[in-house]
Amino acid sequence: MLEVRNLTKIYVSGTVQVKALSEATFNVATGEMVCITGKSGSGKSTLLRQLGLLDRPTYGEIILDNRPVVKLSDGERATLRLQFLGYVFQEYALIGELTAHENVYLPGMMLGQKDVDFKKRAQELLQIVGLGDRVRHYPKQLSGGEQQRVAIARALINNPKILFADEPCANLDSTSSKLVMETLVNLNKEMKITIIFVSHDPDDKQYAESIIVFSDGKIVERHKVRGDTV
Amino acid sequence: MLPSLRVTAFLALKSIIKGNIGVTILTVFILVLVALNLLFVPGLINGLVISANDMLINNYCSDIIIHGKGHNPKINHVTELISEAEALDGVVAATGRNNIGGTLKFKDSQNEERRVNANIYSIMPEKEKKVFDISKYLIEGSYLDSRDRNEILLGVQLAGVDNEKIELYASSLRSVHAGDKITITYGNGTVKEYKVKGIFQTGFIQTDIQAFISDLEYASVAPSMQNMASSIHIKLESNASTEKVIERLELLHNNLEYQTWEQNAGVVNSMTTSFQIINQILNMVNALVAGITIFIVTYVDVVNRKRQIGILRAIGIKRRPIIYSYLVRAVFYVAIGLILATLLFVYAVIPLEARHPFHFPFGPAFLVIDFPLVARTAILLAAVSLVAAFIPVWLVIRIKILDAVWG
Repeated sequence: MLEVRNLTKIYVSGTVQVKALSEATFNVATGEMVCITGKSGSGKSTLLRQLGLLDRPTYGEIILDNRPVVKLSDGERATLRLQFLGYVFQEYALIGELTAHENVYLPGMMLGQKDVDFKKRAQELLQIVGLGDRVRHYPKQLSGGEQQRVAIARALINNPKILFADEPCANLDSTSSKLVMETLVNLNKEMKITIIFVSHDPDDKQYAESIIVFSDGKIVERHKVRGDTV
Repeated sequence: MLPSLRVTAFLALKSIIKGNIGVTILTVFILVLVALNLLFVPGLINGLVISANDMLINNYCSDIIIHGKGHNPKINHVTELISEAEALDGVVAATGRNNIGGTLKFKDSQNEERRVNANIYSIMPEKEKKVFDISKYLIEGSYLDSRDRNEILLGVQLAGVDNEKIELYASSLRSVHAGDKITITYGNGTVKEYKVKGIFQTGFIQTDIQAFISDLEYASVAPSMQNMASSIHIKLESNASTEKVIERLELLHNNLEYQTWEQNAGVVNSMTTSFQIINQILNMVNALVAGITIFIVTYVDVVNRKRQIGILRAIGIKRRPIIYSYLVRAVFYVAIGLILATLLFVYAVIPLEARHPFHFPFGPAFLVIDFPLVARTAILLAAVSLVAAFIPVWLVIRIKILDAVWG
C-alpha cells in the first residue's frame, strides 16, 4: 500500500539547515492502523505532511500503490489527494462559511460525483461519526470534538485508500478524544481504511496495530502493538 | 471542467452569502459611485452632442444645405428648386435664404448710438417655419409674416434686451426690444429703418447673432435677386437618408453644391471632440479607482482567508476553482453596483438633471443613457475588476499549502 524510502526533509533558513526528517524508511500494509509517535519536534508531523502530499521532501521516495509520487506536479498531487487520500488536521481546518454537511461534501463535488450521491454520502458519513443531527450547523456552532469528527467525515467523502490524521485529539478533552479515536478505529475495522495518525499521547497507542517512534527526525523504533517488534 | 465550475459557483455563492455584509455593502456602494461616474460624463457628453446637433439642424443649417457652385454663388430658380426638393421622398420641407452684410444702428433712450455688424438673412417665413424651429424661440414680439415690409427679427445676442447675462451683451445693441426702431446700412449702400417685430433666443449663439427680414422686404433692398438665393435648406424626415436625398438632388441639378449638416458642424465638432478626450481621461481615472477598490477588498479578504485557501487546496480543491470563485465574486459586485447605478441614473439623476439642465453655448444639455453606454461601462468595470481581483488571489494561491494553513 505505502512504501517510504529514505525520506528526508531539510529546512533551510538562511545559512542554517535543520534536518527535520532523516532517511525514514518503512512500509504500511493495506488496512493497517499505524500510530506515529515521539516527542514534540521529533519529525512526526513533518513525516505525515510528506505522506499526505502537502509538502515535498528534500529527497527520498514515497510509493503509493506502486506509484512514485514525490516528483509529481502540483496538479497531479492535488488529484491524488482528492481521489486517494484523506487528511485530518490538528486544528479541525473546516471552512467557516460552510455547514457541516457542505464541508463534508465539497471534495465530493470537486470529484465530479452526482449531486445526490455526494450529498447522501456526506449525510451518511456524518451519521457514522455521530453527527447526524448536526448537518446544518456551522463550525462555530460545534464543539472542538464535533468539528474534528466533521473533518474526519470530510476526509472520508472520497473513499480514501489512506487516511492521515495529524494529532487529531491535540485540542480535545479526554471524552472527545476518546470519541474521535474510537471513530477512527471503527472506520479502520469496518471500512478497512488504512489509517496513519500522529500522536504524542501514550494512551493513543492502544488504538494502533503498529507504532513508529520518532526521535530527532529518525525512526528509532517500529513495533506491532499486538505482535513482535518489527 | 464541469466539477471545477460547480465548485467555483459554490464557493463564490457561499462567500457572498456568508461573507461580511458590511464589506459587501461598502464595496457595492463604492462601485455604484464609480459606475455612476462612468455613466454620468459620457451621458452628459452624449446629451451635449445630441442637443448641439439638434440645435444645429433645427436652428442653424437644416439637414441638407445647397449652395451655388463656382463663380456664381447664387442659386437661380429657387421656387422651382424648392418644389422639386419637397417632392422627393424623405423631405419634409425646403426654404431659401439670402444673406447680406450690414451694420445695425440703434439710439437708446439716452440718445446713445450703438452699432453692430451682422449678417441679415432674407427668409421665406412660411417655409422657414417648416424647416427651422426659430419661430418657437421668440422671447419678445412675434414672427415674421410673408407680407412683412420694414420689419425685422433679431437674435438676442444682437438685440441685447437689457440683459447683461447674455454672452455677447457687450458687443450687442444692448437695449433693443420688440417694437423699437433700428437702422441698417447694407453692404450695397442701401440704408433702411426697421421696426423690430420680434426677438428670438434659441440658446445657440451662432443663430442668436442673426437677423431676419422677409424675402419681400429683401426684394426692395436687392431688386436684382428675384427668385434667387444664397442657400437652400432642406429638412428631412427623421428616418430619411441624407445621402440618398442628395444623390437624387444631384441627378436633378449637378451644378449645385450639396452639404450635409455634419459638414457645417465644425464648431460643435471641435467642442465635442474636446469633451470626448476629457471623458476618456475621466473614464481611465474611474476605472483605476474601481480597480483599486476591488483590489483592496479582494486583497484584504484573501489575506484573511489565506488559511482557508490552504485548507481547500489540502483537501484536493484545485487552484482554478479557488481563483475563479474570487473572480466570480468580483464580477458579482460589479454587476450589482452597475445595476444599482443604472437604476439610480435612470430614475433619479436623469429626471433631476432634466429639471435643472446644464447650459452650454449651444443650448441646454440633457443626460442621455443608452445600451451601448451601459454595455461599455459594464465591460470596462468587469475587465478592471477581474484583473484587480486576480492579482491578490494569484499571489496567495502560489504560497505553499503548509505556509497558507499554518502561516
